Amino acid sequence: MSDTSVNVTGIWKIFNEGLPNEVTALQDIDLTVETGEFISLIGPSGCGKSTLLRVIADLTGPTRGQATVAGMPAAQARKDQRYGIAFQQAALFDWRSVRRNVELPLELQGWSKDRRRTRAMELLEMVQLADFAEHRPWELSGGMQQRVAIARSLAVDPPLLLMDEPFGALDEMTRERMQNELLRIREETGKSIIFVTHSIPEAVYLSDRVVVMSPRPGRITDIISVNLGSRTEDTREAEGFFNAVTAVREALRGRGPGSSEARSRIGEI
Amino acid sequence: MGQSQKMSAVSRRVKRGTISAGWAIAGALLTVIMWELVKLLGSVVELPFDTSDTAMPNVWTMIAAFSQPEVRGSDVTILQAVVSAAAYSLMIALGGFIIGVSIGLILAIVMQRFAFLERGMLPFVIASQTVPLIALAPLIVGIGNRFSLGPVQWTSTASVMFIAAYLAFFPLSVGALRGLQAPTATSLELMHSYAATPRQLLFRLRFPASIPYLVPAMKVSAAAAVVGTVVAEISTGVRGGIGRLIVEYARETTSQPAKVYVAVFGAIVLGLVAAGLVTLLDMYLTRNLPKESPA
Repeated sequence: MSDTSVNVTGIWKIFNEGLPNEVTALQDIDLTVETGEFISLIGPSGCGKSTLLRVIADLTGPTRGQATVAGMPAAQARKDQRYGIAFQQAALFDWRSVRRNVELPLELQGWSKDRRRTRAMELLEMVQLADFAEHRPWELSGGMQQRVAIARSLAVDPPLLLMDEPFGALDEMTRERMQNELLRIREETGKSIIFVTHSIPEAVYLSDRVVVMSPRPGRITDIISVNLGSRTEDTREAEGFFNAVTAVREALRGRGPGSSEARSRIGEI
Repeated sequence: MGQSQKMSAVSRRVKRGTISAGWAIAGALLTVIMWELVKLLGSVVELPFDTSDTAMPNVWTMIAAFSQPEVRGSDVTILQAVVSAAAYSLMIALGGFIIGVSIGLILAIVMQRFAFLERGMLPFVIASQTVPLIALAPLIVGIGNRFSLGPVQWTSTASVMFIAAYLAFFPLSVGALRGLQAPTATSLELMHSYAATPRQLLFRLRFPASIPYLVPAMKVSAAAAVVGTVVAEISTGVRGGIGRLIVEYARETTSQPAKVYVAVFGAIVLGLVAAGLVTLLDMYLTRNLPKESPA
């Protein structure tokens, strides 16, 4: 297995190319994610972070450039189920029990009933929802639903997890608990994770590297490494944590590399 | 835990059902009282309509008519005749409903799958319902009579069923189309990320997601199938069903004014039975869904 989980080279995504309402959502993006690495994509609305995630997931094609996942083109990686994905909405199916929601990707892959069931229970055990296996999704709280969605994204045991603001709709307390849970799951499974978020503390707390993006055109302006060792609740109050938060905040304000360009663009608008 | 919850959901439904049955009986009683009051009023003052026993027989006369022989000297009571006619009509309506629902579903699936077909077919689907049934019925009988497929001969009963299906398919196809288009963008992206095949997408996502839209559409379709059957029976003159019976009994109002009302009761009960069957189907289809409807 290669050391590179995701490799993005020269990705452009232009909507309505050649038309008056042309929008450059992604401009010449290069990004490499190492195996086992936790990467956050952060930036204001419209900076293309979700679009970049969708290009990696092959849910939308790039206008130019290439994305590889686990050493293969993104389209092949999707067909081979080399990644799991979770969105801001848990998107659980109401008509299925919690367990059968987790089984869904396995069902589509043609796993046998027994194997499916065993695997789903294993995963529900991991997200501490085994007692709720036969409940309906709508009987669960928002945080619990999101845990089911994470369990589902891990079902086929993919090496990579793509997460698009999965905790965006949760309250602050639940959100912090979910962050700890995600880090624990990552430790247990050794997955590579690409995590889209709006929240600076969330990005810093979770990530090995925070990729800072800026809009119009969507591009990477800075990549900040976070070295806080293994996270505990104390990490959130440590000095290193605040320093990293400040560094990301400054990068978002455009005081990092390429800042003069960023400022002049804001001036134009 | 899940089991006990399911049980309590069932008992809650039964309780709700008992309450609404109570209201229904109260409503029927109120109608009877109003009917008799109007008759009473008509015997005292002049009303703009006829309240005599010929036009508005007493409720007890109607009930007494249940057990009277259909024709003088016959063993068959009016009630038996009405029940067997209603059962006959119900079978035709049921057949029309099943055919209509099947065609409606297939149309919806095809229209959902191919957007150009939605644009091309939907106007025709809508136009089909603007043709008046009265004009259509003789046409279908006329064409049907000249239609045969080997040993299979088109009967006038088949014409009635066809008309019932013709009315039933429309609400179903429109409702089902909306339902098949109901899944959220996120659900669709999720299925896409699983590299789901079109068939998996249809059966694992679109079809189950359409149920909350399908059920009300089926209720409308069932009502349309019953009305279509009764009206088609009358306009095609097919014997054996409740529609024809109402017409026949209506001619006997001078000799037996209560008779036609028994047939009308039969038609009402027919409608209620059809609605009840759809409700059972509804309870089965939505057993796993939240009780508040999203639509």
